[in-house]
Amino acid sequence: MSDATTSALAIAAAVRAGKVRARDVVADALARIAQRDVALNAFTVVLSEHARADADTIDRRLAQGKDPGPLAGVPFAVKNLFDIAGVSTLAGSKINADRAPATRDATAVARLRASGAVLVGALNMDEYAYGFTTENTHYGPTRNPHDPSRIAGGSSGGSAAAVAAGLVPLTLGTDTNGSIRVPAALCGVFGLKPTFGRVSRAGVAPLAWSFDHVGPLARHVADLAAAFDAIAGPDTLDPSCATRSSPPCAGELERGADGLRIAILGGHFARLAADEALAAVARVGRALGVSREITLPEVHRARAAAQVITACEAAAIHLENLRSRAADFDPMTRDRLLAATLLPASAYLRAQRLRAWFRERVAEVFRDADVLLAPTTPWTAPAIGAPWMTRIDGVEVPTRGHLGAFTQPLSFIGLPVVSVPVITPGSLPVGVQLIGRPFEEASILRVASRLEAERVAISPVV
Amino acid sequence: MNGSGEPVRVTEADVDRLAAQIGLVIAPERRAAVAQHLAALLAAVQAIDELALPPATEPAPRFEP
Repeated sequence: MSDATTSALAIAAAVRAGKVRARDVVADALARIAQRDVALNAFTVVLSEHARADADTIDRRLAQGKDPGPLAGVPFAVKNLFDIAGVSTLAGSKINADRAPATRDATAVARLRASGAVLVGALNMDEYAYGFTTENTHYGPTRNPHDPSRIAGGSSGGSAAAVAAGLVPLTLGTDTNGSIRVPAALCGVFGLKPTFGRVSRAGVAPLAWSFDHVGPLARHVADLAAAFDAIAGPDTLDPSCATRSSPPCAGELERGADGLRIAILGGHFARLAADEALAAVARVGRALGVSREITLPEVHRARAAAQVITACEAAAIHLENLRSRAADFDPMTRDRLLAATLLPASAYLRAQRLRAWFRERVAEVFRDADVLLAPTTPWTAPAIGAPWMTRIDGVEVPTRGHLGAFTQPLSFIGLPVVSVPVITPGSLPVGVQLIGRPFEEASILRVASRLEAERVAISPVV
Repeated sequence: MNGSGEPVRVTEADVDRLAAQIGLVIAPERRAAVAQHLAALLAAVQAIDELALPPATEPAPRFEP
């Protein structure tokens, strides 16, 4: 039998060895969800019958002597903007609930299922992924397992909370401005935002076409790497997907951080952050023997450009519904989307120019470094319904928007990033970003694995 | 958006005028909040504009067969 603490790879090994049936593993996961999710509100749909049927298929394949896949019997769930055949893709909205059920799985979902993993449900999120909190008005807030009065982060809040609570060992989320990394940090789990183009977005409802990413969340680095290996690689259904092959990362983890040049990002990434966020970076730096600091130029302007590009692309996607049924949007997203429709085209294009310039400056930094460290969020999880503004270091900042201050400037130039959880007993979790060169996910996963082995970054079930 | 570094101000009348240009009707009770969000976005645009980029910097895509 598996319990809430069993890793995805341990489950798969036990199922493949015939020590446990996939059906029993899935039944355990469904029981945990039934018991705990009433309080957490991570799931928006639980696919009990489908999951049991899929688990039976895995067990039958094994009985027939066939290979059920490297993730055989691993229960997983996905943010509800992924298409699931037979289910309407909500994307956190009331509007999309009117849509017909999807006719096929999103590519990433299909690839995990082809690897033997068993889909057990869909997970809560900010409406249309435009937020950092999962305080969804339509479906209720997802609660942080470390403190249910606090947000889980977002927009993949359900994906992070489900893993942190041990409901499932593996989930998928998406990340445009931090939507995998922010909830991973606030819920104390590992989250990987791969390089833009590394994982197909086919069958995934968009927030911003030019930098939406798909990635996994898990409590163990090896699980994260195995899931990434399963979903990465070319896909003709996603025109932005890279055509280069994706070498497996799982086998690279044991190399640890040896030979990698690592530095800490200062400047923007050290300003307007609470002490616990900076202390986590310092702790990770000490564990890796890193003292070198690097400052990227004009990061606050890069973040501004990410905000403008996101707003313009999201507004373009939702313009027709904003014209015809604005009242049906979540009030948490509606006014921001309406405002974004009013921006001039020149604003979008000037933001894109800055993006091109900033990408080149960061590429120059990576000639002399392999992995960069930075806090994931400026502070721990705020309370659900927290005031709109927060004062830090004498400056008023938006409580929710500021959660993305350190993630936004990185994803809009497509870099791969792992957020690793740093947990001090008696305190809420924070995350540290391990930032790599494009298409070098293996390097950041190696560093994450080293930090996990030294128990600097750990993700206990709560 | 004025490039002067001054705070960006957007009125409800601005919101109405801009919305009309794209055939969007914004409910009266939403206009103040939309104006506030638009001012925040225009402040971000202002931050972008304050950095003088080399003339050759452009966002054109690269086509590879």
